[in-house]
Amino acid sequence: MTDARLLSVAPSPAFWVAAVGYAAATALLFAVLAGGTRLRTLTLALLTVAFVAHGTDIGWRGTQHVHPAESVREALGFLAFIITGGYLLASTRYRLTLGGVVVMPVALVLLVLARLTPAGAEPENLSTLGRIHISLATIGVAVFAVASVLSAVYLVEDRALKRKKFDTLALEQGGAPLEPLDRLSHRLVWVGFPIFTVAMILGAVWTARLGQSVGRIEYALATVTWIAFATLLVARQIYGWRGRRAAKLTLEGFACALAVLVIYLIRRIL
Amino acid sequence: MSELFVVGLSWQTAPVAVREKLAFREDELAPALRELIGGLPVAEALLISTCNRVEVYGVAKPGIDPSGDIRAFLARSRSIMLAEVADVLYAHRGPAAIRHVFRVASSLDSLVVGEAQILGQLKAAYTIAGAAGTAGPVLSRALERAFGVAKRVRTETAISRGAANVSSVAVALARRVFGSLDGKSVLVVGAGKMSALAAKHLWSNGAKDIRVTNRSPERADALAREIDGTSVPWADLELALAAADVVISSTGAREPVLRYAAFKRVKKARRGRPMIVLDIAVPRDAEPKIADLDDVYLYDIDDLDKVVKDNLAERQKSADHALRIVEHEAGQFEHWLRTQGVVPTIRALRNRFAEIADGEVTKALDQLSRKDHTRDQQRELVQRVVQLVINKLLHTPTTVLRGSEADTGALRAEVLAELFALELRAEEPGEVAPEQPEEQTASEKAQA
Repeated sequence: MTDARLLSVAPSPAFWVAAVGYAAATALLFAVLAGGTRLRTLTLALLTVAFVAHGTDIGWRGTQHVHPAESVREALGFLAFIITGGYLLASTRYRLTLGGVVVMPVALVLLVLARLTPAGAEPENLSTLGRIHISLATIGVAVFAVASVLSAVYLVEDRALKRKKFDTLALEQGGAPLEPLDRLSHRLVWVGFPIFTVAMILGAVWTARLGQSVGRIEYALATVTWIAFATLLVARQIYGWRGRRAAKLTLEGFACALAVLVIYLIRRIL
Repeated sequence: MSELFVVGLSWQTAPVAVREKLAFREDELAPALRELIGGLPVAEALLISTCNRVEVYGVAKPGIDPSGDIRAFLARSRSIMLAEVADVLYAHRGPAAIRHVFRVASSLDSLVVGEAQILGQLKAAYTIAGAAGTAGPVLSRALERAFGVAKRVRTETAISRGAANVSSVAVALARRVFGSLDGKSVLVVGAGKMSALAAKHLWSNGAKDIRVTNRSPERADALAREIDGTSVPWADLELALAAADVVISSTGAREPVLRYAAFKRVKKARRGRPMIVLDIAVPRDAEPKIADLDDVYLYDIDDLDKVVKDNLAERQKSADHALRIVEHEAGQFEHWLRTQGVVPTIRALRNRFAEIADGEVTKALDQLSRKDHTRDQQRELVQRVVQLVINKLLHTPTTVLRGSEADTGALRAEVLAELFALELRAEEPGEVAPEQPEEQTASEKAQA
């Protein structure tokens, strides 16, 4: 039986380290974007420390029997963790400062939502099936989130190149090249899609067992998300969809997934 | 003191028509250097000849200004009249020469500020001078310091950032889109020199598949051979477009040869792969509407020129910082060079002092070993040895000082006071001058 107290109180000290680290890294990323390129290494180091602290917080909650997929609220914290990890991993290869100023505020907000908002009612009938569903859905959405960030960077860079508004130093320093961004985003969708698909199936089974209605808006949006990413993969395979068109569809699919999470969260709080 | 000098001309003083008259082939450099050292009052020499400068760096023999001889040598060795180049040749000596070589190595004196080639050319010239045996210690130290300064300038300033010519911009743009150019295909449309240069630059950066197409197949074949590519019939332009990642076009056509309709037709075959089209022809070869297509990035000559100009402006902004680095380093090098004149004297002085001290210590140790001494006797012996050493050291300077003429004596006294940090006090009444120290008094000799 879950201790409801743990859902609403006493975030670990590691949480505060992670939250402050994410906030400081966000500010530094803006400074890097404004031209302070020398701060880039420091920013990534700080982000790594915050990421480790975040993992420690999740681990600590695990020792208190609070599973990362205990609820949508917990899953949000886990989602922030995976997104940050994905961003850090991608940053080892490319200069993704632009992506960072999108990712890090999102991760920070998700983390704060997960730990500092009211826990609401204690979850009912959360079976193993439910936990697996939430875990897989969280991982799938997190992978889509990283793919979406890369797609967003792609669109900004593509726009700059199309409009011939490249700033000279960025042109020399390389930034994040378009083709590798597109390739990496596509690979992430390939990874995330089967995970998300299994999560969808398990979610449908779980809902059926609970005897809930399938006519809820979040189920419809989750289906739209699945269709968007399925279309993306099929169209790329058959028609060679890539570049700007693929990036837009990735972002649209992720927007639907995000909407599902927000609806779940609101339902939980209310 | 060794004095560095430089005599030569550069793009700043001479047009290409004059520069080419004075240019040396690489195989001519070593013989010319040997001739310089053998026939002129020059101790060390290095000769650099590039498309933008011909310069002789060297170290003059003491008290001689060899610039006139070098000028005459340059004219004679190229079989031209000195009057033809006299106005464009410059000469710097001492600090000015040091600053000049540091500026040249740092690419602050180059036609394109911040370009990297000059450093390589200077290193090659230094290697040749080293092999010819004409680069001595001073020149070697100056050149090695110049290479260090150049590295510092490149690291600490933005002087070499940003592509500074159309070919480099082409590579930078391709990298921005593709990341690595390995395995990318380049299509050269037209056999213009500019596109050939850009294609070569892309090839050297990894794009090994280069195809050339031109209305005249002979010219396409010739250019393909020149840049290690393959020629494609003009009729197969669309097929080549379908396969290309980078297109460089510079035909002399009056009408566009790269049509929007053709790009639309090959779109399906390309399956969304991005493509860069660099249209460096005037009039333009590519229809501007091509830029509206997804995944096609079209740039004309004005776009590329703008990038070049922006980058050069950025480099110029860094030049002031770079000049401050050069000034600081030149100051340090001058200091080092100045100290080189007194090094032999310092060495001889130390040797002389050590020789005197060793002699007296040996004698004292010999005395101590012959019989047992009381503690007081030992103290007396040590004091005597110290006194003997002082007397011997001061004997010659004191003798010379006493025997000096008034003016010279005053000057020598002043130098001595400065060297030994002496505090001179006014002579008190009744005070007598100390006796002249002797190398060894008669009683001391007897004791010994």
